[in-house]
Amino acid sequence: MSKTGALEQPPDARTPRTTLVPPPRPTVSADPVGAPWADLRPDEFYIPDFCATRMVFAVVLIAELVAVTLALARSDAPFLTELARISMFLQWVGLTNAALLCYSRRWLARLTVPKGSAAVFALIALNTLVISELALMLGTAFGAVGITERPTQHWPFLLRNAGIAVIVTALLLRYFFVTHQWQKQVRAEALSRIQALQARIRPHFLFNSMNTIAALTRSDPKRAEEAVEDLADLFRATLRDSHSPLRLKEELELTRIYQRIEALRLGSRLDVRWDVGSLPMRAFVPGLTVQPLLENAIYHGIEPLQRGGTVTISGRVVSGEVEIVVSNPVAADSAVVEPRAGNRLALDNIKQRLDLAYGGRGSLEVEQSPERYQVTVRFPYTE
Amino acid sequence: MSAAPLSVLIVDDELPARERLQRLVEELPGCNVAGVCSNGADALPLVGKLKPSVVLLDIRMPGMTGIEVARHLGALEAPPAIVFTTAYDEYALEAFDSQAIGYLLKPVRSERLAQALKHASRLRAPQLLGLATPELPLAARQHVAVRVRDELKLIPVREIRFFRAEQKYVTVRHARGEDLIDESLKQLEEEFAREFVRAHRSLLVAIAHVAALERIGDDEGYVLRLRDEAEPLAVSRRQLAELRKRLVSH
Repeated sequence: MSKTGALEQPPDARTPRTTLVPPPRPTVSADPVGAPWADLRPDEFYIPDFCATRMVFAVVLIAELVAVTLALARSDAPFLTELARISMFLQWVGLTNAALLCYSRRWLARLTVPKGSAAVFALIALNTLVISELALMLGTAFGAVGITERPTQHWPFLLRNAGIAVIVTALLLRYFFVTHQWQKQVRAEALSRIQALQARIRPHFLFNSMNTIAALTRSDPKRAEEAVEDLADLFRATLRDSHSPLRLKEELELTRIYQRIEALRLGSRLDVRWDVGSLPMRAFVPGLTVQPLLENAIYHGIEPLQRGGTVTISGRVVSGEVEIVVSNPVAADSAVVEPRAGNRLALDNIKQRLDLAYGGRGSLEVEQSPERYQVTVRFPYTE
Repeated sequence: MSAAPLSVLIVDDELPARERLQRLVEELPGCNVAGVCSNGADALPLVGKLKPSVVLLDIRMPGMTGIEVARHLGALEAPPAIVFTTAYDEYALEAFDSQAIGYLLKPVRSERLAQALKHASRLRAPQLLGLATPELPLAARQHVAVRVRDELKLIPVREIRFFRAEQKYVTVRHARGEDLIDESLKQLEEEFAREFVRAHRSLLVAIAHVAALERIGDDEGYVLRLRDEAEPLAVSRRQLAELRKRLVSH
């Protein structure tokens, strides 16, 4: 089954893009970064795949449990002899039914739930009748071996078996259906969680940028044009599917684009020092990890300062981990002016996305001194 | 519109925003830009000097927010009309009656600006003092404005040692002396509940400036001694328990 289904690939991913945001790479399963949610692709049919080893084993187990139940119900025969006889028969019934479902699944999956279920009942009842008939014939032929006891009545034997098969099938179908519904719900919740975590840009930034562009349109049309292009690139990146990681080079480029837009607005108040020369630009990073850190630093660190200040962005690789540090000055009375709740929210979001992408091997740390606020993200270095 | 042009002061910390507003105002007939400045602290003396009819006030500014600027302007005898400008309605201004408070969303449309300026005479700053609602309590100011003739003088709240209610006014005692303000002690107590505590019926003391709580005589009760303040301040028995609690937790 191809893993790049509709879920991982947005419709626009097939259209050519700029080098900034390349289409998601096709091999998600071999991908150490973006894989965690690849299994979320919903399987619409509620009956599991009976070709899978796991399901074959389950069928053997279920047949055996039914055999034990039936053997226990017979009080007039020795238990073990009875169990051996019934097991032998039921394993045949079970495995042939599994084989039937395995081969007909593709066809069944195209039917509606009621029709598909009816078809399953019919298939299993019919197969059980056939196996029963064969068992009768075999029993007649090998009666002398002693492990088969030939039923006295032909048709009642067949119908009883078909009846048992239908009841067991009904129970199992119900079980499969309920389990499938439950899994669907779990998947939907996981998906909505990922979507909720999708990096967003503050509306504050959007409207301020629009305002800046409105101002520049007349005073400096060329810069206004550039600002529109920058804004478009940035928004394309936030609307992108959050499943596929970016190269560090692209992420840093996005962060610089963001910085350019903010610089138009804040002028000389914004100074950003970059020290990322030693970072491997080919490394993967979950999309929009660094940009929101700069956004936070500007919103909480630079904007409240009348004269502005310096944000530093530095990065290095330490023992197989990429480490990126963003720090900003703290306004003396920022605690009074600016509630920190919004800040925490943005950082929690990044932290959770790192968790999702690296399964606990990514981290985000905050250090605060009276003068500076510093956020450090670390995640495994993968290419 | 009358013959005298409507004079407008623009306050915004971002240069492109200021330039655009300035251009829009100048393009409107009967309006002119009296002045432009980039922060709240500069805006207050400028209002005193230029006496604009309307102040276009950005809300989110470094140092002093537009809301705080508006509240200080309310202390003026003839305050200008205030029209807030904001890029994003994080302050939920629409929660208030738009007749009482003018606000414009950036990027501002020229027609909206014209409309707001036309109705500006209705929007007087004193109404802003009643701005707080239970859903949206106003953040405590960082300064208290004192009117000195036509101009406003700002006293940083952390320099204030106490407020004392006199007959009609409240005296503000601060690092550089004493001033009178036209506000009620009760409102001040509510606004600055974090930093100040009632010592008695007419006295609100800054907790950070308290040096000691002393017992005097045998039965005469307690007084507060403040740092850099010679005069001891009387404490009423009713406030004693609360005062002790606040001083200890500080």
